[in-house]
Amino acid sequence: MKSEDLIRSLIDDCAPTPPLAHPGWRALVWFGAALCYLGLVVHFVGRRPELFTTIADPWYLAEVAAMFLTSAMAAAGAFCAGCPGRAIWERFAPLPFLLIWIGALAIGCWRDRHIQGFPPFANISTIQTIAAMSIPSALAILSMVRRGAPIAPMTTVGLATLAATSMSSAVHRVFIEQNMAGSAGFWPFCAVLLISGFASLFGRRLLRWTTRDEFVATVQRPS
Amino acid sequence: MTSAQDGDGVAYAELLSDLLPVLHRFVRRKSRNAQDADDVVQEILVSLHTVRQTYDPRRPFTPWLMTVAARRVADAARRRYARGANEIAVDVLPETFQGDETKFEQEASDVAEDLRKALAVLPQSQREAIELIKIRGLSLEEAAEATGKSVGSLKVRVHRAIKAMRQALEQKS
Repeated sequence: MKSEDLIRSLIDDCAPTPPLAHPGWRALVWFGAALCYLGLVVHFVGRRPELFTTIADPWYLAEVAAMFLTSAMAAAGAFCAGCPGRAIWERFAPLPFLLIWIGALAIGCWRDRHIQGFPPFANISTIQTIAAMSIPSALAILSMVRRGAPIAPMTTVGLATLAATSMSSAVHRVFIEQNMAGSAGFWPFCAVLLISGFASLFGRRLLRWTTRDEFVATVQRPS
Repeated sequence: MTSAQDGDGVAYAELLSDLLPVLHRFVRRKSRNAQDADDVVQEILVSLHTVRQTYDPRRPFTPWLMTVAARRVADAARRRYARGANEIAVDVLPETFQGDETKFEQEASDVAEDLRKALAVLPQSQREAIELIKIRGLSLEEAAEATGKSVGSLKVRVHRAIKAMRQALEQKS
């Protein structure tokens, strides 16, 4: 196919396409929607009774705040990664909050090191719970990032999944988890890393470029 | 590009026509393989078209364009490397039984006939794999896309088909 013929096909397919909203705005929309969904989950599952007494612990508060901020920044990073020409550092936006989360978790584990049964293997089912809670918000953010360009598909999908899972784990840790030991955050953290890492492996399958042959087949298909 | 996002075909035509030589120069500079430069440029044009909604009119155009172009050039290089790892390009085939100048006319006709017969008795799936990959010269990925089968499955089919054809030809000889 000659390039001139292809250009003619592209022009014929030039329907009005409004530009995507700013990545920060899209992240905010997703964050709000995901928070509403998780609020419904908490409403139906029920929150643990001693919520307000434990939230006074500054390390616990720092851990939970870092989880929420990791989620918000990862969402913004995922949307930025789908916009060609944006700075690379934007993809690393969740990193400082992830480090704070790790720090708070490490301090929690250090404080609980003498507790019998450490690390709390009984909480391994947390991984399944967080995975299940994350599915709707993960699907929502993945459908949103698919509108972007697959510039860095593995990073984009990894960040999108990190956003969904870290928010679910934060909500799980605050409202549902009964074990309030500092080390109880160990499994939510593992869940977030495992699920995000695994999902990023599918990045190239989930986000890919439309090839020339696919485009030509689409425009030549009789309507 | 802002006009193109609004559906202005004339502006879009002007933009793409202006971009064509720029992209050609960029691809030739980045890629050592000049043979498929046209293909890569066309892939870039389609990519620009399909992600044109990601262009933010408040931001400069060139970084947006060059990010997409560089990514597509890198994808093409990766594809070429992957193909090169599985295929060997040779100018002269080491076996000459298909070269008509190496044998009498009757011999050439007999060999082709024997191959046709050996191919005809293969199961449909193996025959299809041979036709696509060995006769029409499609890559494994292209053949997989055309048949809807996996690359691994096609490799197995080609291997089995060649084995069966070799046995058939040996029995005949």
